[in-house]
Amino acid sequence: MKAFEYVGAKSVDQAVKALTSGSAAMAGGTDLINRMKDYVTSPDRVVYLNDVKELAGISGDSGTGLTILSGTRLSDLLANDSIKKSYPALWQTASEVGTPQIRNMATIGGNLMQHPRCWYYRSGFGLIPKSSDGKHMLREGDNRYASIFMTDGDALYAHPSSLAIPLIALGAKATLIGPDGERTMDVAELYKVPTSNTESPFASRPGEILKSVSVPAAAGKNGSFEARHKQAHDWPLVMASASLTFSGDTVSDARVVVYGVAPLPWRSKAAEEAIKGKSVTLDSARAAGSAAAEGAKPLSMNGYKVAMLKTVITRTLCVTVGNRYWEV
Amino acid sequence: MRDNASSLNSSNRRDFLRGSGVAAATAVLTQTAQVGMDEASAEALAAQDVAVQSGSMKITLQVNGQSMTSEVEPRSTLLDVLRHRLDVTGPKRVCDRSSCGACTILINGQSVYSCTTLAVAAQGKEIRTLESFDTGPKSVAHAFHQNDGLMCGYCTPGFVTACQALLEKNPNPTLEEVKKGLDGNICRCGTYVGVIQAALDAAKAIKV
Ligand SMILES: Cc1cc2nc3c(=O)[nH]c(=O)nc-3n(C[C@H](O)[C@H](O)[C@H](O)COP(=O)(O)OP(=O)(O)OC[C@H]3O[C@@H](n4cnc5c(N)ncnc54)[C@H](O)[C@@H]3O)c2cc1C
Ligand code: FES
Ligand code: FES
Repeated sequence: MKAFEYVGAKSVDQAVKALTSGSAAMAGGTDLINRMKDYVTSPDRVVYLNDVKELAGISGDSGTGLTILSGTRLSDLLANDSIKKSYPALWQTASEVGTPQIRNMATIGGNLMQHPRCWYYRSGFGLIPKSSDGKHMLREGDNRYASIFMTDGDALYAHPSSLAIPLIALGAKATLIGPDGERTMDVAELYKVPTSNTESPFASRPGEILKSVSVPAAAGKNGSFEARHKQAHDWPLVMASASLTFSGDTVSDARVVVYGVAPLPWRSKAAEEAIKGKSVTLDSARAAGSAAAEGAKPLSMNGYKVAMLKTVITRTLCVTVGNRYWEV
Repeated sequence: MRDNASSLNSSNRRDFLRGSGVAAATAVLTQTAQVGMDEASAEALAAQDVAVQSGSMKITLQVNGQSMTSEVEPRSTLLDVLRHRLDVTGPKRVCDRSSCGACTILINGQSVYSCTTLAVAAQGKEIRTLESFDTGPKSVAHAFHQNDGLMCGYCTPGFVTACQALLEKNPNPTLEEVKKGLDGNICRCGTYVGVIQAALDAAKAIKV
């Protein structure tokens, strides 16, 4: 990797001041260091955040809502009883990220801000990889892990953060802090779809870091389900999280968010509309799965994701109400 | 090896900083007269006693209960410093991309990949490698031996360390918990059956 200046920040203020142009923030390093080794990202300065005490920890509970500071490691998130009990969508997803070592190193901030895994991007061709004759490498090449929605555009990679999925389903907010102070937005608003290789896929401004994520008080039920090649060492192929509120037995409100199908965490309004006003049964969940897949336009090698999406939505809705029908 | 960075940045100040130690760097920063955005930030940092470190520098690490000092660069990984500078060769370099587990060590009691940890960031933390583990009849290492938990042996130090970390956190793991706990390590020779049994046996042995 390229040589760089190192700043071991001890406070948020120091970190923000040190993050001048050409700098990169580093938390667990599990994404950044690998990109630096491959010369995909070559910062002039690295600002280390993990010794900043005011950036680590979880406060609040499921009754009031939780605030998770960005430097909280996934293993600490998993050790939180309130998350395990009241936000199973988040807990389950965190428990399946990477490996035990990754979960001991990776932070929630770094997870949300990790860069896409697209292998053309990771080989240095940018998020919109085009060859010199103008051909889109991902559209024409090996796109087995790419998106199936928004594929009329040029950003064809799949969004990488699995924790963004339950957080958006739960209606979480992200707080950024930078030279101009703090601002808070929906976690979904952290992400943008770049239209060129010089555009960032994040809404954060230069010098801004993610300070915390706040999850509202738990209401109704939530759950997640992932489909993956390998149980560890890998990202999900397709996963989803649902957050449902009920009146009696029927779903009064629903948020369903999907991973692995778009360059953004994909909010499936179709699945939400399909399940609202119904009780969650295998049939209604299947209908929601079919609705979710409508409009998908897979690329040459990822048609399997359409079928997978239907199953993942069906299982996510069922698991949210405690029905693990596929295990019997 | 040093400094392909300077060609990308024409500022003399930056180049000078890269070659100088922390104390010198701080002195230079406070004396800087012209103030661009970068300079302003550097001054603000220096005023708060934040070191901007670059080039070659001396750090001290706590490894297996000993203080060890080494010359490193900010970009040196902890794995490379342990193996090549400090002669702590238990952790192995295989993928060098946080994907195999051969380099697993413990930092403050947590298993981590040392290939994806910067040595500078490990200062002030308790580093343990398998060199410090018990190898007697109740040890993880012994259980690996008894269960034929290795073939070529290249993944073994990482597995032993991951196993040690698992048992320190959870002294009574179930089979499922052992599988999940050792999920961060890969064995090309396919010794998993022996490794998993070794973890279960070691858990029992350590208790008696
Ligand atoms: C083998 C393997 C399997 C994996 N499987 C999964 C998986 O299943 N699901 C999944 O979601 N991820 C997975 N990952 C990715 C992993 O979760 C991320 O690399 C990790 O969460 C990043 O966190 P970090 O703290 O290490 O971030 P770093 O690597 O330190 O940083 C990542 C990025 O975020 C930026 N950043 C860090 N902190 C902040 C902050 N506070 N504010 C603003 N920007 C910040 C950095 O500048 C950098 O660009 C896997 C990784 C590996 C190696
Ligand atoms: S060498 Fe570090 S995980 Fe493979
Ligand atoms: S024993 Fe050869 S890689 Fe595991």
